[in-house]
Parts: sequence; C-alpha cells; structure tokens
Amino acid sequence: MTTYTVYKEQLPGLFEKWSESYALYVPAKLREGFYDLVPWKRDLEIAWDFDVAYNSPKRFLFPPREALITFNRKTCEAEPVFEAPPQILFGVHPYDVKAINQLDQLLETGSPDQNYVRRRAATVVMGYEPLTVSPTAFWASVGAASAAHGYDLYWTKIGPAAFTVEVGSARGEELLSMCGPLVPSTAGDKEGARRAKARVLFKARHNGLRYNWEETPRLLSKSWDSPLWRRYSQMCLACGSCNLVCPTCYCFDIREEADDQLEEGVRYREWDGCMLESFAKVAGNHNFRPKAQDRYRHRYFRKGKYIYDKIGELGCVGCGRCVRACTAGIANPLKVFNELWEETAHEH
Amino acid sequence: MNTKPFSPYVPRPVTLVEKTKLSDFVTRFTFEQDNGRPLAHKPGQFVNVSMYGIGEAPFSISSPPRRTQNTFEIAVRKIGAVTSALHELKPGAKVGIRGPYGSSFPVMKFVGKDILIVAGGLGYIPLRSLLFYQLRHRDEFNRMVLMVGTREPKERIFVDEIADLAKSGDVEVLETVDMPDETWKGNVGVITTLLPKAELDPANTYVAMVGPPIMYRFVIAECRKKGIASDQIFVSLERKMKCGLGKCGHCQINELNACIDGPVFCYTDIEAYQEAI
Ligand SMILES: Cc1cc2nc3c(=O)[nH]c(=O)nc-3n(C[C@H](O)[C@H](O)[C@H](O)COP(=O)(O)OP(=O)(O)OC[C@H]3O[C@@H](n4cnc5c(N)ncnc54)[C@H](O)[C@@H]3O)c2cc1C
Ligand code: SF4
Ligand code: SF4
Ligand code: FES
Repeated sequence: MTTYTVYKEQLPGLFEKWSESYALYVPAKLREGFYDLVPWKRDLEIAWDFDVAYNSPKRFLFPPREALITFNRKTCEAEPVFEAPPQILFGVHPYDVKAINQLDQLLETGSPDQNYVRRRAATVVMGYEPLTVSPTAFWASVGAASAAHGYDLYWTKIGPAAFTVEVGSARGEELLSMCGPLVPSTAGDKEGARRAKARVLFKARHNGLRYNWEETPRLLSKSWDSPLWRRYSQMCLACGSCNLVCPTCYCFDIREEADDQLEEGVRYREWDGCMLESFAKVAGNHNFRPKAQDRYRHRYFRKGKYIYDKIGELGCVGCGRCVRACTAGIANPLKVFNELWEETAHEH
Repeated sequence: MNTKPFSPYVPRPVTLVEKTKLSDFVTRFTFEQDNGRPLAHKPGQFVNVSMYGIGEAPFSISSPPRRTQNTFEIAVRKIGAVTSALHELKPGAKVGIRGPYGSSFPVMKFVGKDILIVAGGLGYIPLRSLLFYQLRHRDEFNRMVLMVGTREPKERIFVDEIADLAKSGDVEVLETVDMPDETWKGNVGVITTLLPKAELDPANTYVAMVGPPIMYRFVIAECRKKGIASDQIFVSLERKMKCGLGKCGHCQINELNACIDGPVFCYTDIEAYQEAI
C-alpha cells in the first residue's frame, strides 16, 4: 500500500481545497471530555487526541431522519427521494471504520438499500489512528483495533507536526494531491506509524474481553436462560439511548407526514431501537418482546451472535458509547460478555 | 430515455374494484394492478399496502396466483390507522402496493400427498391462496383436509365459501368455535380438538397452518403426537413489519427476518429458535 508523509502546515490548504466541493467534518472538542466530528471552518482547533466522537459516524450515512419517497394522495403516484451530499469524514477511528464496513455489508446485500448506497458512495472516509482511548472503550479486544479497508485515506500522527497517510482509494490519493506533489513515506516514518499504533494498543489493553472475541457467539448460544438478563434489565429505562449512540445499530421505523390540506406528502424513515417497549408490538397490543429482559437480551444477541452468524464479525466494535450513554449503568457489552464467560467458566 | 432511479420503497398504484364485508370487522378487498400485469405472487406471500398520508401495512395475499388476470385480493381486519382507512375506501379508489414479498408454501412438495390446512381466526386469509391454488390443480394432490377454528360464530369469515367447499367433496372441512352461541350447531372447543377427529396418514400428510401466535405450539404438538414429522409442517409467522426488505429489524425472530426468511417457515428450520413459536 502506498503511504505518503504529510506535514501539519499542509493541512489548512488541503482543508480549504476540499471544503470547496465537500462538506468537511473534523474532530473538535465540545467541552471537557466531549468530542465530536463538526463542520470544519478556518482556525478551528482539531482535537488530535480525541478518544471517541460523541456521535457515531452512522449519522452521516444513515441520518436520524431521511425521506424515502414523496407521494401524491390524489393520484397515488410516488417518487423516490435520494440525497447524497458529497462529504469528507476526517478523523474516523478504526473501530468506527469497522462499523461503517459493517453497515456497508448489511445494508448493501439482499435488497440493497439505495438511499444508503448513494450516501455512502458520496462519502470520503479518512481514518485516523487514535492517540488516546476512552475509559469505556474495549475495541482492541473485539477485533476492531484496525480496519483493513473501508477508508479512502488513513492518517497516523507520527510526531507533533507530521502524519503518515495510507492510501485506500484513488479518490483518496487524488484528494491528498490537491495541494502539490506527494512525498512517499520513508522507512523511518512508517516505523513511526507502527510505533504509534503499538502505543495506543498498549493503552487500549486496560479494558477488554477476558476471552477470544470469536468465542462470543458460542458463549451466547449457551446463555439464553442466564439470570443475568433479568438482573440487568430490571433497571432498564427503555430509553433507547444505547441504540441511538451505537455505530452499528441501524433499525428504523417508517412514518409519513402529510398535511390534510395538501395532496403531497413525504414518507421517511427514522432511527428506531429494539430497546424501546413498542419495537415489536403489533396492532391489538400483542408484543413479541413484552419484557425488558426479552429486549435487553435481544440487543446482546444481535451484537454478539446474530450479526456474527451473518458476516463473521461481532456486531459490537467496542467503542463504549452505549456504556457512557446509559443512565441506568447497564448497557455494557464488555461487562455482559465477560460475566457470561465467568458464569459458564466451568464449561470451558 | 428518462427512467426514474430505482428505489424499493416506491409503491405502485392499484385500484380497488370490489369490497365485500366478511364480518363486523373484516372486509375483503379486490384490487387491480394499474400496470395491467398479474401480481405474480406465490401462496403465503404478502404485499405492503400504502394508504398515503396514513401509513403502510403488510397484508397476506388471499387470492390464488393468477397468471392471466391483474386482480388480487386481501382481507383486512379493522384494528388501527391503516386498516381503518382501508375500510373507508370506495371502489375506484387507488392505493399503493409494494411486493409480493416473503417466502411461500412449497406447493410442489405437496403434490401426490395429503394436505392438512389448519386455519385459526384470520389464518384462513393467507391459507385461502394455497387452498384455491391446490383446488385448481385438484387431481395432483391426494386428500385435502381443512380445519377452521374461530373464537365466536359471529367472527367467522368466508362462511359461504367454506360451506361450498364442504359440499363440493374436494375438501374435507372440519370447523369449530371456542365460544358458541345459540345459533351454533357444530363443534365446540379450540382448534386442537379437531385434530383427533381426522384420520391422518402421518407419513404422507403435509400440514400448513396460520393462526394467532398462541395457536402454533398446541397444533404443532398435536401434529407431532400424530406422528407427523417436523419437516412436513409449515407455518406462517407474522411479526411487526415495516420495510419488508430485511433491513428495518422489526420482524426479527432471533436472527431470522420474518419478512424475507418467512413468513412461511418449515418447522424444522425454526424449531431451535426461542422466539419463533
Ligand atoms: C406477513 C403479514 C401478513 C398479514 N396479513 C394480514 C391479513 O391478511 N389481514 C389482516 O387483517 N392483517 C394482516 N396482518 C396484520 C396487519 O399487518 C396489521 O393488522 C396492520 O399492520 C395494522 O395496521 P394499522 O395501521 O391498522 O394498525 P396500527 O396499530 O395503527 O399500526 C401502525 C403500524 O404498525 C405496524 N403494525 C401494526 N400491527 C402489525 C402487525 N400485526 N403486523 C405487522 N405490522 C404491524 C404496521 O406498520 C402499521 O402500519 C399481517 C401482518 C403480517 C406481518
Ligand atoms: S454495542 Fe455499545 S460498545 Fe458496542 S459498538 Fe454499539 S455502542 Fe459501541
Ligand atoms: S441506554 Fe440503558 S436504560 Fe436506556 S434502553 Fe439502553 S440499556 Fe436500557
Ligand atoms: S420488516 Fe423490516 S426487516 Fe423485516
């Protein structure tokens, strides 16, 4: 893979150029301990050492609310709605790149989700090696410390003013070369990148699964009747925050809006969550997951088994966002999986 | 040429041609596809019907596949927003549909065999598609037995049609109601009480059943008791559905999606799933 070395002083020029034809998002500090990808503007301070972006990148590819069709109530004609603004996500950590790859796989197979496909195609992903690790993160232990693909460029900070940039696509290389000729990284710079990765991996070791993550589906298939589900779910507020912040949760509701006075209306989708009480409830009030425990267990089975059985990776990339978002203190795949592992320890 | 970009969420227009009341809350709707083409569905599949401005909801296709006509039927119970709006429609009105979606009953497996069709409540609606498809090719199948269970006599649907079937001699019909009234002269009891009444040849009998969620466990247990193998039992499982495309997550039964992996499942394939039956 081609790797170039880029210096900090080149960035303003590149950002300026890119933002002429793309909406450019970069990591910034919101307040102490809170970071997010925000629209770039001149003189904005980039938070190079951000541990996790408060919101996951899924909102750029799969917005909280997205129009699907417009319709005419009189004629019953409907038209598709597609929006796909060109955008650059600069500073996506590898676990979030993995999450995007997962959305790609799940939404683009079967009946491809055309709205997603178009947004994804218009989105440039610039991966970025983390320098710090969020206290609730455990990505290093679930196979999400690096992404083999899914980015156009991958940036690693190798010093106060220098980066190596791995090229993942021709589109990425072209964007990088917009401000003049590129300098291939020296062996020393590449070594610097390797060391940066090793450093963050060392920090990431503070928190992790106590077993090989690939065991998770097998672990869960033994744990359907575990008392753990009830113990934790008793405290669940059914707020759905864990679903909202999760970079790999993509369940949605379909709704519509039509003014009584108007003939035209719009049908849209909106993020939904399996932790909400009514998620599996049908007309006549029958609920296919009536108890908090049913819904809580479903979420962990989806993360730890159902997704794995489809694509061979965990549906949890270990970002730790749900852990932080849960006011009840019970959304925590790491704790749940580790405890189930302990519970079944006599069987290993 | 200026073709519209494809989106699976865009319904196509169909026109209501006939509306027949089946009971206090259930109505049959006959639609005609505006594109002039047959719906080309298989028995057991469903369509998502759009009442623009209100919403979209899935309904089983109740008519058998028609290769030469562009009409199809659904039968709908009035229970919420979309179903109530449907009941307000007058012939000539248009709605949108997407589909047909989902899996279907494997009719070819039933050729030369006995078929037992178990319809609880509104379950007769989708099973009707299978039943009339088989009747169109009646000589290809051996015995056909239909069991219909309803809560109360006044909730029975397709009453004349089922009476005609019984008279025709093509189908053996057994019916029961849970709670009889003074007009009811037939069997009383839940649908499982009908199973012992039919002499079935377990090795040669396939079962197709649709009913309320509570029904499956008991009917399946009765069938198994009679010696019918799991892989000869087919069920249709309805769940909350939104997209019909395997994406929105509402219809999940463990890791299965009822909208694309189902709604029709062979019992063998779902026996191990805790959320199925
Ligand atoms: C595969 C399948 C086949 C069906 N076949 C029939 C049929 O032949 N006849 C019939 O009367 N009913 C059928 N139903 C149930 C029917 O879809 C619901 O009664 C209907 O969705 C209720 O919509 P509503 O807007 O009137 O109710 P509301 O309570 O206002 O529902 C709002 C929305 O929730 C969802 N929803 C609510 N209940 C259900 C449900 N039971 N299943 C799926 N989604 C639901 C729908 O998207 C619906 O539009 C079927 C359901 C499925 C899944
Ligand atoms: S389940 Fe929690 S930790 Fe795992 S990817 Fe989702 S938000 Fe992150
Ligand atoms: S964030 Fe916590 S309280 Fe809210 S739904 Fe998730 S597990 Fe329940
Ligand atoms: S209805 Fe959306 S996934 Fe099945």
